[in-house]
Amino acid sequence: MMVKTLPRTDVLIIGAGWTGLTAAYELAHAGQRCVVLERGRKRHTATSFSAPEEHDELKYAHRYAHMMDVKKETLTIRNNRDQQALPMRRLGSFLPGSGLGGAGIHWNGQLWRPLPSDLQMRSHYEERYGKDFIGPELSVQDWGVTYEELEPHLDFFERICGAAGQAGNLGGEARPGGNVFEGPRSADYPNPPMRQPVSNTLFGEAAARMGLNPFPMPSANVTRAYENPYGAQLHPCTYCGFCERFGCGYYAKADPIICVYDRIKDHENFEIRFDAQVLRIEKSADGKTATGAIYLDENGEEMFQPANTICMCAYALWNVHLMLVSGLGKPYDPKTRTGVVGRNYSYQTVAGVDAFFDRTVETDPYMGAGALGVVIDDFNGDNFDHSELGFVGGGYIACKQYHGRPIGYQPVPEGTPKWGAEWKRAVRENYNHHADLVVHGSSVSTPENYLDLDPTWTDAYGRPLLRMTFDFPENDRKMSDFMMQRAMEVAREMDNVTSVSGTNLAAVDKHYDIVPYQTTHNVGGAVIGTNPQTSVVNRYGQMWDHHNVFVFGACLFPQNLGYNPTGPLMGLAYWTLDHMKRDYLPNPAPLMDA
Amino acid sequence: MAKRFSRRAVLAQIAVGAGVAGFGFPIPHAYSASDDRPWAFFTDDEARWIAAVVDVFIPQDEFPSASQAGVVDFIDNQMATQYGEGDGLYLEPPFPAGVPEQGYQLEFTPAQLLRQGIEQARQLGEIATMDATARAAHVEELHQREGITSVLIAEIWKLTRQGYFADPIYLGNHDYAGWRMVGFPGAHAYYTERVDEHRRSVTPPPRGIAHDRGGSPFPPRAIRGGAE
Ligand SMILES: Cc1cc2nc3c(=O)[nH]c(=O)nc-3n(C[C@H](O)[C@H](O)[C@H](O)COP(=O)(O)OP(=O)(O)OC[C@H]3O[C@@H](n4cnc5c(N)ncnc54)[C@H](O)[C@@H]3O)c2cc1C
Ligand code: SF4
Repeated sequence: MMVKTLPRTDVLIIGAGWTGLTAAYELAHAGQRCVVLERGRKRHTATSFSAPEEHDELKYAHRYAHMMDVKKETLTIRNNRDQQALPMRRLGSFLPGSGLGGAGIHWNGQLWRPLPSDLQMRSHYEERYGKDFIGPELSVQDWGVTYEELEPHLDFFERICGAAGQAGNLGGEARPGGNVFEGPRSADYPNPPMRQPVSNTLFGEAAARMGLNPFPMPSANVTRAYENPYGAQLHPCTYCGFCERFGCGYYAKADPIICVYDRIKDHENFEIRFDAQVLRIEKSADGKTATGAIYLDENGEEMFQPANTICMCAYALWNVHLMLVSGLGKPYDPKTRTGVVGRNYSYQTVAGVDAFFDRTVETDPYMGAGALGVVIDDFNGDNFDHSELGFVGGGYIACKQYHGRPIGYQPVPEGTPKWGAEWKRAVRENYNHHADLVVHGSSVSTPENYLDLDPTWTDAYGRPLLRMTFDFPENDRKMSDFMMQRAMEVAREMDNVTSVSGTNLAAVDKHYDIVPYQTTHNVGGAVIGTNPQTSVVNRYGQMWDHHNVFVFGACLFPQNLGYNPTGPLMGLAYWTLDHMKRDYLPNPAPLMDA
Repeated sequence: MAKRFSRRAVLAQIAVGAGVAGFGFPIPHAYSASDDRPWAFFTDDEARWIAAVVDVFIPQDEFPSASQAGVVDFIDNQMATQYGEGDGLYLEPPFPAGVPEQGYQLEFTPAQLLRQGIEQARQLGEIATMDATARAAHVEELHQREGITSVLIAEIWKLTRQGYFADPIYLGNHDYAGWRMVGFPGAHAYYTERVDEHRRSVTPPPRGIAHDRGGSPFPPRAIRGGAE
């Protein structure tokens, strides 16, 4: 079949989520003609997500109607190199998006910044605890970009989202009620924090009694009428409880459609094509640059879209997959520990704690919002002394109320039978008397956790599937166990709590399991840095090997921090776009010497 | 045969005005045992077997059992539509066995899994002749066995919870049985003013996507001959 070549564009953007639409907005306004290719369909917050139809737990939370289709693309999974990786035949552990807005339409909206020390993880730990503190089996490294450099961009994304929260460190000055551990902020949150239900409030009171430092979770569920810097209008959250996995028809959850797409869609430099599946990126004869991308259009015909510059915004996993099938960058080989594409894949280490109240506390768990929580950050990053602990990293502990939907939310005390009469009674008796605590922990990178191509299975387009080799590193099992103990201490301190139980998904005797949902926080595989031997892109997000390819998303993270990724990855996106506009586009060349 | 599993017996009770006080709320649609609406996917034998199993998972107490709440109708409908046909399931060969952490690795769509799995399971025991205790033990044994019946039971358990608690537009959760049981108000959700009041809750009566105060207009089909 002949591939049809289309007219050249300045910038080709692959993917229409937070990163892709933001790249289009910023670059179109900088005079660049932008073409966005999105594999999924067109949809809109106003027409596609309205209640009550959107409030269909089965369809959206359990049949994944908004998410990607594994029949078209999936990956294979194994815990270690001795196993045969097998296809992820159903979605489970993570839920990547597809369609206008990407996963950004069905996220929770928990909107974080990294700690300053997170971005210099290796040098920070070595300086505080000595050169050998990070064991040789960990490939933890610095990001090559500092908190001070990212701060204006982190701040800007918070304003794009109309973030609701309470500053804890305003320009170096401590603020009561906020996160005392955060890096200095140039501005407070644009909107006041969310209203807290009783469960989260009791958690905060218990934590405060224990000398810990609770604060409201920073949220992209907006708390009052708000206009963002692009001119988008957002409305106050109704605490409807159909938030993560659902779109928000109330215009209350910041999503890339209302916050970005609507503000750029009519711009003369902007064009978007839906049902446009990018198959691979093409390279120039000398291999030094990319020339454009081959994609299948909505009629299933192969097109070649030539471009001067390419922005890879296809989500962490699919960016790496596209690099591997296109021969961009040098693939990582765990045997020789050389190469970079696929190296340092990591995830998120999650443990849960259930606290059950006596009959006097009624939680009404159906009143919730994706980012409705009270948090302590006392055990995140290096906010606490690690010298005697034998691990690096940490996480936040939150009490959250966001998913009290009855198919998925059936908390029962430890020892309840798995089904039958007693189970039924326990579900009925505890639904309205439960607090949901989570330990949201970091994930270190190791030489044995990585992404490459599968030798056996292919996707609907005949390309080899991505192969994920991942298990929880020893470091993270220890960290998660330590964290879960701290969370249980707070849970036991909470008023009116009668029983407490915990589940650590990274417990010592468990392996990473692709079935239960954990987080859609797949990170690494195309990491940022200052050394081409250990990173795919330089500190500006530009590929070392192909200077006209810029990479966006959580694939840039050299290891995962204890926070949700979208705040940090959007900080990086604005940082990259800033350098593209100022330095690269006027003079297209490598922005750093290899 | 244990009476508690029989839809017909329950319906017969209603018909003779024997009262439904045990349910905690009235059942508005009393279908007679002569209900002959066909199943979309199941045979009558399969439907009886499924009804017995789902009622092991969620037996009747003050609230309806799974089959009384329409869970068999829900599963029947799911098997006849996209989910049962394998939507959202990558089914490319080969199919080597893996470890549990790698998830589902059979070559069957959910509909094929149920059809073949039920056939195998029925060869391993006559659930119809068992009392409630024996049924529970039998289901447990099917779950512990190596092979397809274990996957089958896990799948039916998942579908049972979905059917008991999903919006009634999918034919389960009849009369909002599941939602009333836990106190879930449903699809119409505006809580800005209430969320931080911290007072004892007065949960509004449930209302689903179809705005129907009584739940779906389609009551569960009668399980002909009673749940096995
Ligand atoms: C249920 C859920 C809850 C979450 N909650 C939070 C949270 O509270 N806080 C937080 O920080 N993060 C959260 N996340 C993660 C967050 O959604 C992602 O970090 C964010 O959306 C990533 O944006 P992105 O632009 O990198 O990728 P995406 O939003 O995934 O966008 C990528 C787009 O590229 C398209 N694409 C992929 N491959 C191709 C191809 N080959 N050709 C054409 N198009 C392609 C996809 O269809 C998709 O639309 C959550 C995610 C989920 C699923
Ligand atoms: S909880 Fe708030 S932000 Fe989330 S979907 Fe409902 S109204 Fe929107």
